[in-house]
Amino acid sequence: MTGNLKLSAPNAAHIGRVLGTEDVTPTIFWFAVSAGASVQLDDLVVVETQRPDGKKVSFYGLVDNVRKRHEGVAFESDVEDVVAGILPASVSYAARVLVTRVDPENFIPPQPGDTVRHAQGAELSMALSADKMGEAAFPGGLLADGQPLPLNFRFVNGESGGHINISGISGVATKTSYALFLLHSIFTSGVMDQVAQASGGQLAGTAGGRAIIFNVKGEDLLFLDKPNKKVEEKEAKAQAEKGLGRERYALLNLPRQPFKDTQFLAPPRAGGRGDAIVPHTDQRSEGVTPFIFSLREFCARRMLQYVFSDSAGSLNLGYVIGNIEEKLFRLAQAQQGPGTHLLVTDWKVEESSEVPEELDFGDLGGIQIQTFDHLISYLEYKLLDENDGQGDKKWVLNQAQGTLRAFTRRLRGVQKHLTPLIRGDLTETQAEKYRPNLLRGAQLSVVDIHNLSGPAQMFVVGVLLREVFEHKERYGRQDTVFVVLDELNKYAPRDDGSPIKDVLLEIAERGRSLGIILIGAQQTASEVERRIVSNAAIRVVGRLDLAEAERPEYRFLPQSFRSRAGILQPGTMLVSQPDVPNPVLVNYPFPAWATRKDEVDDLGGRKAEDVGDDWLR
Amino acid sequence: MRIRLDPWPIDTQDGQLTLEPFKGLVFNVESDDWRAIPTRGIPKRVTKVLVVDGKPRMEARLLLEDDAGNMSLAGFGAFVVGAVSLCPHGSRQAELVDVKARRVLAYSGDTLLEPTRLSPRNPHTGVLEYAPHAYAGAHVEGARSAVQSLMLNAERDFSRDLASEMPLDEADENALPETLVLQDGPVRVGEAGRAVIGYVKTLHTDYLGADRIGLLAQLGCGERTPILRFTVGDSGEADYRGREQRFTWYVRLCDAPFYQHPLAGVMRLEMHAPEDTDFVPRAVIDAANLSGALLTRLGSQLHKDARAPQNLIPTAALEHAMSRAMGSQELVTRRIRTHLARELREGVLA
Repeated sequence: MTGNLKLSAPNAAHIGRVLGTEDVTPTIFWFAVSAGASVQLDDLVVVETQRPDGKKVSFYGLVDNVRKRHEGVAFESDVEDVVAGILPASVSYAARVLVTRVDPENFIPPQPGDTVRHAQGAELSMALSADKMGEAAFPGGLLADGQPLPLNFRFVNGESGGHINISGISGVATKTSYALFLLHSIFTSGVMDQVAQASGGQLAGTAGGRAIIFNVKGEDLLFLDKPNKKVEEKEAKAQAEKGLGRERYALLNLPRQPFKDTQFLAPPRAGGRGDAIVPHTDQRSEGVTPFIFSLREFCARRMLQYVFSDSAGSLNLGYVIGNIEEKLFRLAQAQQGPGTHLLVTDWKVEESSEVPEELDFGDLGGIQIQTFDHLISYLEYKLLDENDGQGDKKWVLNQAQGTLRAFTRRLRGVQKHLTPLIRGDLTETQAEKYRPNLLRGAQLSVVDIHNLSGPAQMFVVGVLLREVFEHKERYGRQDTVFVVLDELNKYAPRDDGSPIKDVLLEIAERGRSLGIILIGAQQTASEVERRIVSNAAIRVVGRLDLAEAERPEYRFLPQSFRSRAGILQPGTMLVSQPDVPNPVLVNYPFPAWATRKDEVDDLGGRKAEDVGDDWLR
Repeated sequence: MRIRLDPWPIDTQDGQLTLEPFKGLVFNVESDDWRAIPTRGIPKRVTKVLVVDGKPRMEARLLLEDDAGNMSLAGFGAFVVGAVSLCPHGSRQAELVDVKARRVLAYSGDTLLEPTRLSPRNPHTGVLEYAPHAYAGAHVEGARSAVQSLMLNAERDFSRDLASEMPLDEADENALPETLVLQDGPVRVGEAGRAVIGYVKTLHTDYLGADRIGLLAQLGCGERTPILRFTVGDSGEADYRGREQRFTWYVRLCDAPFYQHPLAGVMRLEMHAPEDTDFVPRAVIDAANLSGALLTRLGSQLHKDARAPQNLIPTAALEHAMSRAMGSQELVTRRIRTHLARELREGVLA
């Protein structure tokens, strides 16, 4: 018993002997598979050898290559004579083992002729270093022989390491599915409670952990709280195909249930003013909360930088943004009275080159800025129109007109996208109600940004992540927060800079000590900022383009695994963790939660006719 | 003058063709009509063919010195006898049978020696044990001859044990047994009555004479000559009474390439002949009839075996397995050196 993982008792017969015709080293060796035994890739095996002084050394390893060939024949065409029954030849069946652990650490080679056995039970936990993990082990999937793969939570929660990175071709590698499976495993396996208990209660238990998922594709993740009607059928099929004794959730000792304690956030539909705030979702209407940032909050919390995802390209522009952000911050600080608008007294509208429509003039003079486009008009006035086109000196700060125009032009470029998200016409109660609340709400928050344009997505992700980061900076590493973000290459590209990339870098480099864990995913790790990928303690690879698999980012995969990465099926991943020097191939169960609307089990497990009868009564 | 190539490589002991005239009498027993007979194919009732061969090897020449200071020659040698079991219809995979090395300490004299046991330093690498075998005489190659002789006897016994009984009835259509043994070389004394067919790869002796040998060049693939009979060791003298009688016939395994001599693909077969009978038993005729089909099937190809087609595919595999069973000559020699060094207490040599 290791952590919450139940490992079966050892019952392994010998399956082969270490070959003497290939080099035998402490880290890699071949063995001849015995007649009647079957060995496949990813099998975990153990070999025991005896030193001359009588002490035993055990080698635990992973099969990464298997081959068969005719033995005793010299020519390739001899296969015809063998099949014709006139040339005696035996079939040699051999397997190569990558050693994952040597116990005790005497790095001698095994002896040719030593017996090889399947690693099971306690030996399996030695092979996968589960004995070192103790209570921190949680299931990360099923091995080829149906035994659970233990992952070390201390390498997830930031204690010894943190962050998970998942790479794979979109749609095939099912990166998001595996990330959700890991979250489900972390939340329901009890590992958080066990680790907290072992740490003397310094860490909060299950209730303390939270996850934030950004939904970037369709409305796939808006049904995570609903049971999946296909799971039973799919799991029964998988169990039969893989010849497993029990269904996979049971083997993993995880409940087959959807996520509980969830909240779903979505941006509001565009065009609404006043009270008509509805989430911009098409398939799910109930249970989804729209999120909005108030204009005053936008200024007070310095969100302007996240409007410009490409500001790092120009030093001057970055300077202007910083300056304006500061001005807006002071403006927000100076606001008095209720509301979410900004009251300005230095805007002589008649001097603006273009007079905005529907401006609200305050009772005591001044203008109430209630929309994002009015804010842009005000900034245009302050930078370009005031003083006969010279602008307000304090705002301009000797910057060239061209830079100022570039600034306002970019703002106008994103105006359409951000106007529904940043509003100054709400009451404070409304603002509080629609403010995205990721850390004090549910255990799992899904932020739907798939309907947003690129700049708006960047803005939302940047603002929310910074908020999480600042919150954790204030409160420390209690309550681990998992941030699931797909398409990392878009938010933190290797070659370009952006404010969001800065936040992600902060999270990657400092986040683990603050209890923020990034579960990042992307098609190609080679296009993501190197420091983000290299900070991930646990790396997962699904199916890869073979050219991508040869990039340096995948050097942690042995060559044989890189070749195999091109043929992995959905539901199969290669998982690398610090405790085990070689990656391990796992499969994981079909989601118990709906990942599309048509998977939602709205009949509660009953037949359609029975539910229909209830309605007729 | 035409030059033709003998097909066998120059490093074999002899060429395939010598054609020393046989001095004795050779009789037509199947037919006086001396012409090619086509193969009849392999009857279904024959389900097992065992190809038997043996291999000797000398591993060290020794000089023995007894307590009285008398010297004698001896040798460490090894031999293997084995077989390939196959179905002539190809219904199962061919298998090696009983390919195990036996080791001998061959010495001349009457002294009784204990078996010599050569233990390795590494217990994983097996033990060599040489069983003592005394031979008569003091010839310098006596030990080699003794090992060769042991091997031949073992091969003969093995063939005899594996083969079915050979009916000698003239008319029984079902006389051919289910199991046949193909033995490398001529049949031996002591195998009479068993279904053993000896195959002789070389044509060192001409049993046919000028009037009959021309047919060999005309044989097509799988065709054979009629069966003949002769007496082993017949010297051609009028009062000679030979030891045993043999049936023999020739089979062509494949067409000879144009640059080789025209008998290049021809092989001679032998079976025991009963004494004092003037007919050929039905089973022998059946064996001869199937031999063309069987041997063309088992014949090897030149690019794979320098002695093709006569060195049969199973035989070559068997030779390979037998060499492997005896182990590396170099390692054995090293083991012997180490053993003797230890015995003489002069330290261990590599």
